[in-house]
Amino acid sequence: MRGAPARRGVTAGRVLSAESTKLVSVPAHVWLALGTVVVAAVTAYGLGLFVRPGDARSGSWVVTSGFVLAQVGFLVLGAVVGSGEHTTGTARATFTAVPRRLPVLGAQTVVVAAAALVTAAAGLGASWVATAGVRAGGGPAVDLAVPGTARALAGFVLASVAVALLGLGLGALLRRPADAIVGGIVLAVVGDHLLAANPGPVTDTVRALLPSAGARLLQDDAALAALDDATRGPQLGTGGGGLVVAVWVVVVLAAAAYRLGRHDVR
Amino acid sequence: MTATTATPRAVEGLSATRRPAFARVLASEWTKLVSLRSPWWTAAVTVVVGGVITFLSAQASSGDPGFEPVDSLSSGLMLAQLGPLVLGVLVGAGEFRTGAFRSTYTTVPRRWPVLVAQSLAVAGFALGTAVLTTVASVVGILPAAASRDLPVDLTAGDAPALVLGMVLFLVGLALLGHALGALLRRTVPALVTALILVMILPIALLMASDPLVAGGDPASLAAPDPAAAPTVVGTLNVLLPGTAGGLLTTSASSGPMDGSPDLGPVGGGLVLAAWIVVLLAAAAVRLRTRDVR
Amino acid sequence: MIEVEALSKRYGSTTAVDGLTFTARPGTVTGFLGPNGAGKSTTMRVVVGLERATSGRATVDGRRFADLPAPLHAVGVMLDARSVHPGRTAYAHLLAMARTHGIGKARVREVLAQTGLESAARRRAGTFSLGMGQRLGIAGALLGDPATLILDEPVNGLDPDGVLWVRRLVRELAAEGRTVLLSSHLMHELALCADRVVIIGRGRLLADAPVQEIVDRTGSGSLEEAYLQLTTDAVEYRTDAASGGAR
Repeated sequence: MRGAPARRGVTAGRVLSAESTKLVSVPAHVWLALGTVVVAAVTAYGLGLFVRPGDARSGSWVVTSGFVLAQVGFLVLGAVVGSGEHTTGTARATFTAVPRRLPVLGAQTVVVAAAALVTAAAGLGASWVATAGVRAGGGPAVDLAVPGTARALAGFVLASVAVALLGLGLGALLRRPADAIVGGIVLAVVGDHLLAANPGPVTDTVRALLPSAGARLLQDDAALAALDDATRGPQLGTGGGGLVVAVWVVVVLAAAAYRLGRHDVR
Repeated sequence: MTATTATPRAVEGLSATRRPAFARVLASEWTKLVSLRSPWWTAAVTVVVGGVITFLSAQASSGDPGFEPVDSLSSGLMLAQLGPLVLGVLVGAGEFRTGAFRSTYTTVPRRWPVLVAQSLAVAGFALGTAVLTTVASVVGILPAAASRDLPVDLTAGDAPALVLGMVLFLVGLALLGHALGALLRRTVPALVTALILVMILPIALLMASDPLVAGGDPASLAAPDPAAAPTVVGTLNVLLPGTAGGLLTTSASSGPMDGSPDLGPVGGGLVLAAWIVVLLAAAAVRLRTRDVR
Repeated sequence: MIEVEALSKRYGSTTAVDGLTFTARPGTVTGFLGPNGAGKSTTMRVVVGLERATSGRATVDGRRFADLPAPLHAVGVMLDARSVHPGRTAYAHLLAMARTHGIGKARVREVLAQTGLESAARRRAGTFSLGMGQRLGIAGALLGDPATLILDEPVNGLDPDGVLWVRRLVRELAAEGRTVLLSSHLMHELALCADRVVIIGRGRLLADAPVQEIVDRTGSGSLEEAYLQLTTDAVEYRTDAASGGAR
């Protein structure tokens, strides 16, 4: 405590180190991350097969199109880390070692974000390689001069991290993986597509406020402009989608922190 | 407590040297299902979501010039379908996740009757849920119909087939979930597989066929040529269990989806049934040939 | 030292612990007894901060558990052998716990050796038998070399060798001046290793005294008889056979 060399006790750095050990020491987490990389690349390759010259898809769309399936992997990773403490009983060991509890959730947020970042970067790289043939063979090329292209590529990584953190928050809040996964899929993927079937001022507004708006991070400037032209709800512009999903992540994690701090751990 | 009272009866049953008759296995699976809390919650959420979304959707379209209340009837199922699917997965995988199978398979060592009985129990529970969800959907379209003074006649035209199709669709999804759960034996992998098959892959295939879904707004799309020949993407999509099952909730006269072969409601139902049979058979094979831990 | 003062814990309308007061002192093994559902585990969980007391307080070395700067060094806890992710190895589980306090890998290996789990250290906890899970739980409790130990049913599922080992271990720990609070349903085992027993029923204190004193006071021949006599009216779940015998 007073700068003694062998400091005893819990520190934020030590909790972070413990949580990273916990994340990588469960084989299912590692397989899930590898599977997510493969799914991103295979999906991008598969969708690339249907790209025809002149059908308005950009090069960045081709590379990042695997997100539609890969986001499920990120969501599940977050959800199993968040709920795993409670479903496996690890919570008893974890929260007797760190009885203040909130540092654990904070550390989990950091390690899940880091794991999602690395996984998404690998997925993006794998998708780049997988779609190289499509892009070279008459499909749209990735041209960083096209406005928003670099942002769209980085957006793949950011949106993946956001979905993983949403999963973590839902898992820690609901404490059961099935609930967190179903809830996350509805919020981040399915809800948007259901509402899209009934376009209107109300449904378009709701769509803009769902975490699925985070997928806008993957669009270049032209695609964002097309989205904003078509909507009858609020126009989110360049940063709006990212902001919406960031607010969701913060709110859900805050709710999870509240439950963790106030309620009993079984 | 239960054990002490149940033991003498079990001994009597065994003294007659009878194997557990299938009806008893079925009764036991039914008791196990309805004594859990999650099926009831899932069913309640399904009915409420089905009714509410149908109501909102009918209200939203009631202003359209050609509004036909019955057309909105199945709109709530787009979300409510998750309920039976999740219910099936939880029951199918729950047996292994909770360790309940140890008592199940020592009671009925031949195992596969358990799987069939469990499937029937899930179907029965889902049937009740499906009927209530359909009733809630009918109630959901009534205010919109009344606001336009339009009659709701469920006995005319395609309506009876549509109502039946909705019920069968929901029951089918519960059975699909159950088969996946029993095959994969773990809740999270089974749930993720079910959600990807039923909800996510159709969206991914939509992206393949439709350049604007990811980067644009579907509403702004020009209506595709209805006479277009079936495409690879459309064919793959209609062979997915969720999309095929969804055909049950369309009327036979509405024609095929864009780029898909015209299976019709019956064909769609058969595709879904084929998925269930194949997955359940795989689960039965795994049950026979692999150890139960 | 564990001090429980007027502790109550209610879940909705049911009262699990009702105004319980007792102290577990350093240098002694305190046995914690009571019928199923008496509130033993709830009390232990409140002491280690997993659950919040409805009223009253529980402290370790004079502090609330959540206020301890280094909980693993102050209190070793084993509440339930199934407190491990089944996909994680025994070594990784202990290492993750150790890292929260900056405890080194050498100490992790030490407790694995001490609990006889060296050969199973790289196996996933999901493949462990009940007894091995129990040993892993005890290893986690010993990790921080704590001055106080709280062990819920530590001999549950252990082989005779393991039971003997736990008996010696808790005696040694107490001889070193540590506080040990240990719950068990095995009366003979407790009679051998506990100095004092705290008996509760329906969340209330029934007895808190040295083992011999309780045996003498109830005029019974053994701790088991004394326990059955004390808890007659406090048993929640009783089979026909047992209640017939008691009446």
